[in-house]
Amino acid sequence: MTTIEKQLLASPRNHRYVLTVAAIVLILLAWSLSAVSFKDVNQNGLAIALNILKGIVHPDLDLLFSVSKQSVLYLLVQTTAIAFLGTLVGAVLSVPLAFLAASNIMPKPIAWLTRMLLIMIRTIPALVYGLMFIRVSGPGPFAGVLTIGLTSIGMLSKLYVDAIEELDKKVLESMTSIGCTTFEKIRYGIIPQLFSLFLSVTIYRFDMNMREASILGLVGAGGIGAPLIFAMNSYKWNQVGSILIGLVILILLIEWFSNKLRSKLVQG
Amino acid sequence: MIEFNHVNKTYHNGTNALKNINLKIEQGEFVAVIGLSGAGKSTLIRCINRMHDITSGHLYVNHVDVSKLKGKQIRRFRRRIGMIFQSFNLVTRMSVIKNVLVSFVPDLPMWRKLTGVFTKEHKLKALEALDKVGILDKAYVRVDQLSGGQQQRVALARTLAQNPDILLADEPIASLDPVTSKLVMDDFKTINQTMKISVIMNIHHVEIALEYADRIIGVREGEIVFDGAADQVTKETLDNIYGSKSNETPFLAEAN
Amino acid sequence: MFDKWFPPKKMVLPNGKIVLEKRSRLPLTLLTLAAVTALSVNLTGFSLHVLFTRIRQFFIILGEMIPPKWSYTPQLWGALLDTLQMSVLGSMIGALLALPFALLASFNVIRNKAVVTIFKVMLSLLRTLPTLVTALIATFVFGLGPTAGLVAILLFTLSYVGKLLYEQIENVDMGSFEAMESIGMTRVQAFRYAIFPEVLPRYLSTTLFCFEGNVRYAAILGYVGAGGIGLLINENLGWRDYPRVGMIILSLGVTVYVIETISEHFRKKLN
Repeated sequence: MTTIEKQLLASPRNHRYVLTVAAIVLILLAWSLSAVSFKDVNQNGLAIALNILKGIVHPDLDLLFSVSKQSVLYLLVQTTAIAFLGTLVGAVLSVPLAFLAASNIMPKPIAWLTRMLLIMIRTIPALVYGLMFIRVSGPGPFAGVLTIGLTSIGMLSKLYVDAIEELDKKVLESMTSIGCTTFEKIRYGIIPQLFSLFLSVTIYRFDMNMREASILGLVGAGGIGAPLIFAMNSYKWNQVGSILIGLVILILLIEWFSNKLRSKLVQG
Repeated sequence: MIEFNHVNKTYHNGTNALKNINLKIEQGEFVAVIGLSGAGKSTLIRCINRMHDITSGHLYVNHVDVSKLKGKQIRRFRRRIGMIFQSFNLVTRMSVIKNVLVSFVPDLPMWRKLTGVFTKEHKLKALEALDKVGILDKAYVRVDQLSGGQQQRVALARTLAQNPDILLADEPIASLDPVTSKLVMDDFKTINQTMKISVIMNIHHVEIALEYADRIIGVREGEIVFDGAADQVTKETLDNIYGSKSNETPFLAEAN
Repeated sequence: MFDKWFPPKKMVLPNGKIVLEKRSRLPLTLLTLAAVTALSVNLTGFSLHVLFTRIRQFFIILGEMIPPKWSYTPQLWGALLDTLQMSVLGSMIGALLALPFALLASFNVIRNKAVVTIFKVMLSLLRTLPTLVTALIATFVFGLGPTAGLVAILLFTLSYVGKLLYEQIENVDMGSFEAMESIGMTRVQAFRYAIFPEVLPRYLSTTLFCFEGNVRYAAILGYVGAGGIGLLINENLGWRDYPRVGMIILSLGVTVYVIETISEHFRKKLN
């Protein structure tokens, strides 16, 4: 056997592993195929698809630009308000939870318990929270704010914890040598480090919450979602069009704004 | 004046870091402490401003018995001693001037401490300190945009703003390239000569130590094995400080 | 702009040097934030008083979910499997479609600027629509049922994986691509042998990560009639049968946990 042939045989043999994984994936795929059926797609469906497209091209301009409480503009501002206030509530709640869950400053059992709590909060879907909060505040945007606040906690505190666990503690050493007290070290050594990181994470979550807030209307928790579903159910396609256009533009705008703000925070 | 009288330091794990140290440093001296890693250089320096407690003996700084100080007294005592670290230890997400202003924080009234609003007088003092180390133009730049050498100068300015009598430096140039190292060392020398501030420095680079310091203290296994003027240091002295094979120690080769 | 309205303050050092101190933006930022918050409170009817007096209702409902109704489990299976099927199929087809889309949106593979821009815009527009809205539209086109959910998940996966993939392709070192073109390969072949191996691990791990999220999304799509377990959540919440809702959430939590554990295992291997 030449050395070349030996090398050929020595090439890593994980074929069996790759094949097994591929087979499992294929089986999953075949099994999932049974979920699809296009028997309900008929002329009607195609017609509706066409109508939606038509509605987007010919939106209800009156609905889009007027300033009544039913106008798209008002509803979008309300949606933004829900997302903003919800993010604020979520951030305020997340800060203490994040400190409780940070394993480098809290005893292990407390950090572990807090993490469990956060996982449980994350498990319940936003719409379920929405319906539960409607029992608290009645239907309307207030329920939306509370829902967004609670569902933001999971991600916000996780990312806050990451920031806390990466704190640079050497700064504190030099502040000790200056003669600072513990309070002064927290105020001038820790908070400046965390502040911009926390802010950047929070802005990112606000961006995500825009999407969340726009669907909460489906359960009656305020925002643009409810008018959208009404318009669709009553086949008013040019209203659907104007709502979709407004929503897409707003979300893109906020995404762009949030990216810009965050890169400014990171680079100073 | 700093005075060590039979000072011993034993760590909790039983390591005997300092053994019977006797030392006198006059105001305005430039002292370099050299020795292998783990010889006790860092411990020696950190005892002076009570970052470490001594186990026995007496340590006087300007006639104050350091080991007798408590709580608030320690913090007041540290206000007169500046300290510089290998890793700069700045808040990199804050601007240069804000990092320097931190050195005034302990003297502020409570509301200023909370809000972080500083007086114009303090801002001017901070700017002056920055001017002394030549980075006045960077005052409003965020620290993470500066080079290593510039960051170490910010740290220097921060200690200068304290208006200290003594400047302790723990490996101040260990994370800097040779050219920047020289610049920072020049700053130390200027500060030492024009402001009569004592400089006590731990340093790995023997060549640089010999070039800048007036006095060399060699530490080996927690004991002072050499103490004298820089020009008295011979190859034998170095062999004694670093063990027999000083020529093969990497930092010497680096310094050459 | 800001500096024009609030000109920097002059600081004169004792030695005569002058430094310009820019005015702090903090007061203005705080003021804006406070105004936006006040406006938002006004627009949403937020009230701490209502919150504190009525928050008990929330915990009452939560309390009713515990213990969950175990006997409901057999009726759950069908819907849970539907949800899984939707997310598996949607993620797979979406990820496969993402490949050509990402290619066509990468400026270093496609030379035609117009094509690149069109595909980039398409991907970002797709990503903008919340999945639930896509699902809602899909129910009108494809009828009520899992197919609509599948389409929504597919589109989301396409946009998410597609965006991350083209960003990655654009960051690949082009040296090996050029080398392969220089030995006579077509651009497609060069892509297959130079870029594809580089981005494959990240592509697979992004797909897996997206799949994890999709299972969560798929669970609520039933709310707009797009099939799966969301339908049951909707029904039981409507009947206020909270122990059943508790059971659904528990089973969902376990499913998501299992899937995330498996997926994380493979993602770690890929990195």
